[in-house]
This record gives sequence, structure tokens and C-alpha cells, in this order.
Amino acid sequence: MQDANLNSAKPGWLQIVLIGRRPKATLVRIMVLTAVCVVTFKFVLLPIRVEGISMEPTYHDRRVNCVNRLAYLRSEPQRGDVVAIRFSDPGKFSAPRAMLMKRILGLPGESVSFHGGHAYINGQLLDEPYLKNPCDWEHDPIQCGPDEYYVVGDNRSMPFDLHTQGLAGRDRIVGKVLL
Amino acid sequence: MKIAFRLLLLAVLGGLCFWLWTVFFPNPEKVVLGKLSSLAATASVGAGEGAISRAAKVSNLIGYFSTDAVISYDVPGLGAHTLSGRDEIREAAAGGFASLASLKVQFQDATARVGADKLTADVSCTAQVSPGDSKDFGIQELRLQFKKIDGDWLIIRAETVKTLQ
Repeated sequence: MQDANLNSAKPGWLQIVLIGRRPKATLVRIMVLTAVCVVTFKFVLLPIRVEGISMEPTYHDRRVNCVNRLAYLRSEPQRGDVVAIRFSDPGKFSAPRAMLMKRILGLPGESVSFHGGHAYINGQLLDEPYLKNPCDWEHDPIQCGPDEYYVVGDNRSMPFDLHTQGLAGRDRIVGKVLL
Repeated sequence: MKIAFRLLLLAVLGGLCFWLWTVFFPNPEKVVLGKLSSLAATASVGAGEGAISRAAKVSNLIGYFSTDAVISYDVPGLGAHTLSGRDEIREAAAGGFASLASLKVQFQDATARVGADKLTADVSCTAQVSPGDSKDFGIQELRLQFKKIDGDWLIIRAETVKTLQ
């Protein structure tokens, strides 16, 4: 009789595979995992897919990446950081769906110019080992305001006017690109 | 257990009533954002749509604008232009629809701020436009001003915003 009871209480292999030996514990685990994923991928790490060739060869078209929204919680963006820049503000509790991916060259108060395809910060040549494509940009100094960053893509083989670059306000920087 | 069940039922009923209230009496922000979604659908044309369908879409499209609406845009490759009034908007829309095989318009990250008078609203959004069958798309930040005219929210001004200065 006892053997029969034990056999009836023992979960079948299908149940073990689908919902585990303790369904209640599995349900709690699923709920916790879902909550962690929602919070992480909505408020901390935004999954993105690169569209376009503006950041070639560092980031290729269609490549998947993440934006760390907490990267600049305790520190300010630094030169060389690849950041995501929002277009319109989707509101405090929403993550932007469309963003620009650019590299920070100029920090607040600095001026950025281009001569012979090389970037100059306050007149000093900037070493940019990540640049692989030829560039012939010539541009007068662009002055960053007290809360502005000069951002540009890594692919500078196209004419200056056709490349999306310029000054981004600090409030537009969503976070730092993770990888 | 009975009390807990009744409380739960009450909460569900309360939620349902609130949802029904928002459906039948939506706040102005929701109405304006709904109008924007509807505008995106009207401004999109499929490859299979014929000339009559496209002409009807142009006619519907200008219905979203007030008679004295102004569209001011500065887009790389197109330059800076201003369209004033429905006639100019109709002409530009007809030209655009005729020259493109297909067009998909989406407005993302849209937020609406309704004025204290409840008769005007400022909308900020990002337009994503995919012409033809190409996987490439153009993206542009926009600012729109809506005004409630004869009970309907109409665009009185639309302009492009430079994301990077």
C-alpha cells in the first residue's frame, strides 16, 4: 500500500522536464527570472542592433550589442567612449527605440577641428588607433559648450557634410556601448 | 479566503472600470498620440497600391493638417524647405507618393505635452522612413504642434529637429 502511494506521488519524467520536481518553486523561479530580465533589458542594458556603416570598421552593420545605461551614473563620459545618443525623449521610464551610435571626441569646453583627416583637440593632434579608413576631412574648430560633447563615427571615408556628427547635449547620451 | 477572493474580484472590477473609462474618455495626450499613429499609417504606401489608392491617401493625409499648417524641414540631401498651407502639402505628398514604389513611415519615442488650455499640444517624436524595398531607412527627429480645431486635433506646425548641433 505504501509502495503504491509512493509511486503515485512520484512525478513523471515529462513533468520533471517541463516544470521540475517542485512546480511551485519552478513558478517562483520563472517569475523572478522574468522580472530580472525585464528590469535588466529595459533599464540597465538596452539591446541594440547596429544599422548602417557609420561606425565601420569598429562596429559592423547588423551587429547586435548592448548599451549600459548605468555607465555614466557616477562618472561623466570620456573621450574615446562609444555612446548611444537618443533622438526624441521617450520619457523618464521608457527606453528610446532609435539611437545614434557615435564616438566621443570632444569634451565640454574643448574645441575639435580636422586637418588632413586627423582630429585635433584644442589644437593638439589626437591619436585614434581605431580609425582604419582613409579620411581627408578639413574643418575649422567646433567649440563644445559647457554641457556638450562632440561625437562622430569611426567611418570617416565619406565627405564631412554627409557624415552624421556634431555636438550632443549630455542629456541626450543614453549610455555607453558595452562591447 | 472568501474575503480575499471578494477583494480580488473588487480589484479586478475596479481595474476593468478604469480601463473602460480610459477607452471611452481618453486623455488628450492619448488622443494626440493615436492621431500620430494614424498619420503614420496614412503616410505609408505599399508597393501594390495603385494610383487611385495613393490619391485617396494624399487626400486623407492633408486632413491631418490645418488649412494654414506649416511644415519646415532641413534634411541632409534635401536641404531646407518650408511648405505652407494644405495645397503645398498636398502637392508635395502627391509628388512623393508618385515617385516612390513604396514607403513605410513609423513614429517612435513619441511624447505629447498638452497645454494648460487643453487646446494645443506639442509632440516630440522620431520618424523612421523606409523608402522602396530597401532595408535602409532615414531617421529624423521631429517636433509637431497640434491644435484642437472643431473638436479634431490637427497639425498646425511640423518641423525637423537637429539631433546633433
